[in-house]
Amino acid sequence: MSSAATDDATKAPSKDGNSAPEQNKRSPSDFLKAVLGRPVNVRLSSGTDYRGVLACLDGYMNIAMEQTEEYVDGQLTSKYGDCFIRGNNGKQCLSERNFSINL
Amino acid sequence: MFCKWESIVLSIGIIMEEPLDLIKLSIDERVYVKCRNDRELRGRLHAYDQHLNMVLGDVEETITSSEEDEETGEEIISKRTRNVGMLFVRGDIVVLVSPPLRTS
Amino acid sequence: MTLVGKEIAVELKNDVVLTGTLHSVDQYLNIKLTTVQVVNQERYPQLTVLKNCFIRGSVVRYVQINPGDVNTELLQDATRKENSPAVGGTVSEAKK
Repeated sequence: MSSAATDDATKAPSKDGNSAPEQNKRSPSDFLKAVLGRPVNVRLSSGTDYRGVLACLDGYMNIAMEQTEEYVDGQLTSKYGDCFIRGNNGKQCLSERNFSINL
Repeated sequence: MFCKWESIVLSIGIIMEEPLDLIKLSIDERVYVKCRNDRELRGRLHAYDQHLNMVLGDVEETITSSEEDEETGEEIISKRTRNVGMLFVRGDIVVLVSPPLRTS
Repeated sequence: MTLVGKEIAVELKNDVVLTGTLHSVDQYLNIKLTTVQVVNQERYPQLTVLKNCFIRGSVVRYVQINPGDVNTELLQDATRKENSPAVGGTVSEAKK
């Protein structure tokens, strides 16, 4: 199940690029730019999940998020107004799926 | 939706262009730092660099450890706290930094 | 501003804590300590004979500093300057 936001972010740009194959190639950073300001789920290699609104990120994959909720083993463990997550902590994935209900 | 330089305006009304700006705004504020190995720090941020090396003052460190009770096999979670006046923290152990909650 | 010559306690990632006088620091934050003493000698008897040592920066977890040895105002100003859009120095330089 994916939210309407997911569809916008992932499908809309590829529609535009259908005629020109080069434009169809969207880099990972294009994806990340598309999800700025959207609800995301950031999973660290430790297994901890951070769910919140993606404020910005940089080349080291440092991440700033707002209204962040921390989940360990699926349990809500804390909340942060703003939070900075250091890059190089082996983030496994960054997705915005299943958030139409949760956020 | 965003300005052309892709910065966004935080709920607190300050323009943030890169994640480290969030930390810059926290200088001389008490911050929460989550570190590897279940260590948490709370202290006043005096300095940091791009590696997230930091100097914190009036630090309270909490170490959470879990042991298994040998008889019952239950997991016992214990927290130890200690206070340090001034602490340099090497950036590579830092996982997360959160500024104090701002009232907007 | 420098911490060279001051007493510090270096906590390593393997939980060893060494106190001593800071002799020098380099760009990697490698540390040279003199008049070294290991905290918790019973647990690390092999380190009791240590007098001077070099610590690779990457194995350091914390450095405990005497608050009186640090001018926090200078440190904060140096940090703001360094992290402003104009290129600045580093925290380690600010410490020197």
